[in-house]
Amino acid sequence: MSSNMNDCAYQLWDERRGKIQSKKGGWVIGKGIFNHGYSMMDDLVGKVSYMQVMVLNATGRLPERPVADWFDAIHICLSWPDPRIWCNQIGALGGTTRASVVAATTAGVLAADAKSYGIKPLIQGVRFIQAAQIDFKRGLSVGEVIRNECAKHRGKPNIMGYARPLAKGDERIVAMERVQQELGLPSGEHLQLARKIEQSLLKDFDESMNINGYMSAFLSDLGYTDEEVYRIFAVLVTSGVTACYVDTRDKAPDTFLPLRCTDIEYSGTLARPVP
Amino acid sequence: MTAERRKVESRNDVFVERTATKIWQEIESTNNPYLADSCLCHGYDLLELTQKCSFVEVFYLLFRGELPDADEARLLEQLMIALINPGPRHPATRAAMNAGVGSTDREHILPIALSVYGGSHLGAGEVEPAMDFLRKQRKHDPRQLAHELITNGTPPQEGDWHIAPGFGSRFGGVDPMATKIANHLSGLPGKHETLLWGCAFANALNGHSLGWLAPAVAAAVFTDLGFSPRAGAGLFQLLGAPGLLAHGVELSNKPVTAMPFVKDENYVIKYE
Repeated sequence: MSSNMNDCAYQLWDERRGKIQSKKGGWVIGKGIFNHGYSMMDDLVGKVSYMQVMVLNATGRLPERPVADWFDAIHICLSWPDPRIWCNQIGALGGTTRASVVAATTAGVLAADAKSYGIKPLIQGVRFIQAAQIDFKRGLSVGEVIRNECAKHRGKPNIMGYARPLAKGDERIVAMERVQQELGLPSGEHLQLARKIEQSLLKDFDESMNINGYMSAFLSDLGYTDEEVYRIFAVLVTSGVTACYVDTRDKAPDTFLPLRCTDIEYSGTLARPVP
Repeated sequence: MTAERRKVESRNDVFVERTATKIWQEIESTNNPYLADSCLCHGYDLLELTQKCSFVEVFYLLFRGELPDADEARLLEQLMIALINPGPRHPATRAAMNAGVGSTDREHILPIALSVYGGSHLGAGEVEPAMDFLRKQRKHDPRQLAHELITNGTPPQEGDWHIAPGFGSRFGGVDPMATKIANHLSGLPGKHETLLWGCAFANALNGHSLGWLAPAVAAAVFTDLGFSPRAGAGLFQLLGAPGLLAHGVELSNKPVTAMPFVKDENYVIKYE
């Protein structure tokens, strides 16, 4: 068929032209503001936390308050004001060039949409532990689960959620386990498996679980999918980026980590005339 | 696991002392090491480039490390013109317009639009996969491949089908503009192995209401010009940026009523 289409070829688009059909909610002027079936002003404001509504909007499900409080705490763990961290440095660079706080913060948030740190490793962490749990239930041992994963990385223990980059050990797990206990949230089968994997990795590779591994397992126990986790944590680095922005915004412009010309190593073609 | 066992120790990774680049050299001025007295792009003095080269030649130089020949420069320039504006109906342009009409700070219009233009459906996110696809498949018979993909593929239940990155339907049919642009560019002087393969592949898809989409046209030209697939997404964004910005700026001094606001009767809340 050429680009001359019959009517039914674009019927879908005609049906949606000029209309919005939302599964989420909206503002019905004179009647109220609705969110996933809740009346925002009657059911949510003053009755649930902001974090509960954040998760509701990301997943369509309103979590219980203790779970939302856990989300609140983990967000504190995942962003801190150190401008050496890549997304935070973008915030700091925004401050030193007098970008707006919104531009700098969103730029830093966008930078954390990354594979090596930030949000994307969470997707991999959830996928790993959920697949491992299926294998474990099928009868594979913890050792076999680890060996299969390591085989994908030439035998190295490059398992998402274990072996923290830059440093060994993760103090954030200690804090979050304390929070989890205080909130009365139990450890389910994914988290129990994650700890068994950690024990094995410690024995064989001297590598432990990192915060990604802990939260991936805990969130899997709560029934969240990898995509839902990605959506919930879309702006997970925001507070640290803003802090780094503020630090440089309140100092003289262009004074953050200044570079002399020779502080950049040129390794390209030597000077030549333009033909 | 005890708190003691979670004791944090640096891995002492070794980082470089200076960031290295092969692209740009700044020669410091004699009395201030922070000020550049001259700049060189891949060895060429910037001011000499301004006098002897076109913008498109220096654009090519930045990414490829050498100046293009006449055929390469013409192909890139014509692609840049062809893709200069995604058009006022593209979601990225509409994002720019929303920013403009909403009186968003004007310096945000382009980043907002480019973020949306980064999508993997008709956006920059489709270009690198399209370059990878073209590089891998151009050795194979395009008709045979089209037949295999159509036979083995499953169209989505709703919406357009991208049977391969950058190839598929748009609004249920073949995109005539993408097809015309690809056909025009493939007829220019020079070697266009990937572009010609793409034309043959699109032609084989045509009977199924599938064909070229803009990201693959860009991907094919970028491939023929030797650009890295890693640059593909950003290059596509750069090429569409002028149109995105122009549309956003056009609405930036207008009231919010200058764009439609969906009427209440056409806004339906329907929970699952």
